[in-house]
Amino acid sequence: MSGSAREAPIIEACGVAKRYGAFEALAPTSLTIDVGEIVAIVGANGSGKSTLLRLLAGVGGERPAEGEVRLEGKSWTREAAARVRAFVPQRSDVAADFTAREVVRLGRFARGFDEGAVTRALAIVGLAARANRAVDTLSGGERQSVAVARALAQIDGAKRPLLLLDEPFSGIDPGEVARVIVSLRDIARSGAVVLSLHDPGLARLIATRALVLREGRVLFDGPAREVLTAANLSAAYRHPMIESAEWLAPAIVEKGTMDPC
Amino acid sequence: MRTRGFLTLTLILIVAALLRTLIGPASSDDGLRLAFSIPSGEILWLRSMSVTSAAVVGATLGLSGLALQTLLRNPLASPFVLGISSGAGFGVACVLVVGYMLRTGGGTSGGTSGDSGALPWATETIGAVVGGSVALAIVSRFGRMGDNHNPTTLVLAGVILGSIFSAGTALLEHLVPHGLRGDLLSWMAGRLPEIPNTAQLITLACVTLVGFVVLARSAPALDVSMLSDDEAHSSGVDLRRLRGTLFWTGGVLAGIAVAYAGPISFIGLVGPHLARRLLGPHHAALVPGAALAGAVLLVAADAVRQMIDLGSGRLPVGVLTALAGGPAFLWLLRRGFQQGGHDRGVVR
Repeated sequence: MSGSAREAPIIEACGVAKRYGAFEALAPTSLTIDVGEIVAIVGANGSGKSTLLRLLAGVGGERPAEGEVRLEGKSWTREAAARVRAFVPQRSDVAADFTAREVVRLGRFARGFDEGAVTRALAIVGLAARANRAVDTLSGGERQSVAVARALAQIDGAKRPLLLLDEPFSGIDPGEVARVIVSLRDIARSGAVVLSLHDPGLARLIATRALVLREGRVLFDGPAREVLTAANLSAAYRHPMIESAEWLAPAIVEKGTMDPC
Repeated sequence: MRTRGFLTLTLILIVAALLRTLIGPASSDDGLRLAFSIPSGEILWLRSMSVTSAAVVGATLGLSGLALQTLLRNPLASPFVLGISSGAGFGVACVLVVGYMLRTGGGTSGGTSGDSGALPWATETIGAVVGGSVALAIVSRFGRMGDNHNPTTLVLAGVILGSIFSAGTALLEHLVPHGLRGDLLSWMAGRLPEIPNTAQLITLACVTLVGFVVLARSAPALDVSMLSDDEAHSSGVDLRRLRGTLFWTGGVLAGIAVAYAGPISFIGLVGPHLARRLLGPHHAALVPGAALAGAVLLVAADAVRQMIDLGSGRLPVGVLTALAGGPAFLWLLRRGFQQGGHDRGVVR
């Protein structure tokens, strides 16, 4: 963890829990995330990854049954939080005939109009050339890229940005995945990134820290390379696991921001 | 695109208003026939009031339709299709019947139209707003699936609810004397009053203006609300509050329009679509655009109505909008399904 000792954690969950009727989606969980961290939440389907991420993002009706979530040690209003915290859901949807650029521009709702931020975000996800195409005409992966770009534009300019992403790479081309990973690392220089991933190998490659969940409980929490071992993952998934995603390493190294080993 | 769109709508509105003002019955050797003429003072005043009346009701319905379509993230939503107009109609019928029963000491027969005299229009308006809001709440509850409203379920729920409310209104018609029943039947077809009640029209215009301002001020948030709920929340939009605003704006505007002119169909559906086609998807343009398009459609329908003489008086304008709007609705439904909206739970 690279955050300053004097600074409050960028986000802090204090005993947050979530239940859906009798089903306990997330047992009481406490964690702090500091500036500089890229945290991967890993686990099998139904393990509580999305629930934890949505509680941290403060979206939808996801109010914790218990506990609270604090940003930089404080409770923030929705609009103030939106200036520093952005969330990319697993499935994006646009119910209007907006172009990709117009959707990304919507991300500036809280921080104010900034065409430069919009252009930068579109370039990061590789959509600059298709920015004026209607979102409806883009492929599923390109739409996901638009959602990521919208979130990047939302926190562009924030002093300590926090980006939360729920399975952000589904359908995105490998080349764009590498480009987005590089931008996530850029964000983590002054802020933090939290993302849920199905692929533990990819998590091991990207993240500085990993949370492994099983049945709504944090099973392991620590540096990604120490936590995401075959033995731990096999315990989490109740299935023999191997590490994967080595295919991404050269592309990320080529971008020149981090040694994957 | 926006300037051209606004100019196009304004031009059509002016032409339709001129047609409505200048076309009217004129005496000839064969009796009455339609003719172009510059009417005399009183007739000019009455026709101008009719144009104003149609424009205001059209704008109200256009705004209501836009609010509902944004609320439900579904362009098939409209006061008529969702059964809100029928609910509002039922609300007005309830008020009329209750008022009549109170005046006749609880009896439901033996009266005449002479002693049925209408309740103050404000009471009818309240009845319409309550009826419309109840219908909207029910149809919204039945059609919701996750973030979105399933279009098929919404339309089916709206049609069924509309049928139930219409049947309820028909039932109530039998509790009042013939004269009042005739008025109710004519009103249920959707008609613009030949001689507008100025106070009611001014009230309608003021409420519509308030609705317009509310929607226009929310335009940036309305754009963001077109994203998924999670994205809109994350962007800083208070969706719960915004949807409450849309719910009440859509319901109240639909209700007050129905109280004034009866359930005029399809203006609230087609108006916002016409605006989107001409002005694009941004609500900063769509809010004035939907109001303008609604006004254009209803003034044009009223002008066309004046040209149709079936020998038994002019058709209620609601008949004309239904005849033209029904096929437009089917076209939109087909287009939405073809574009894959069905699979995603959203008709585009």
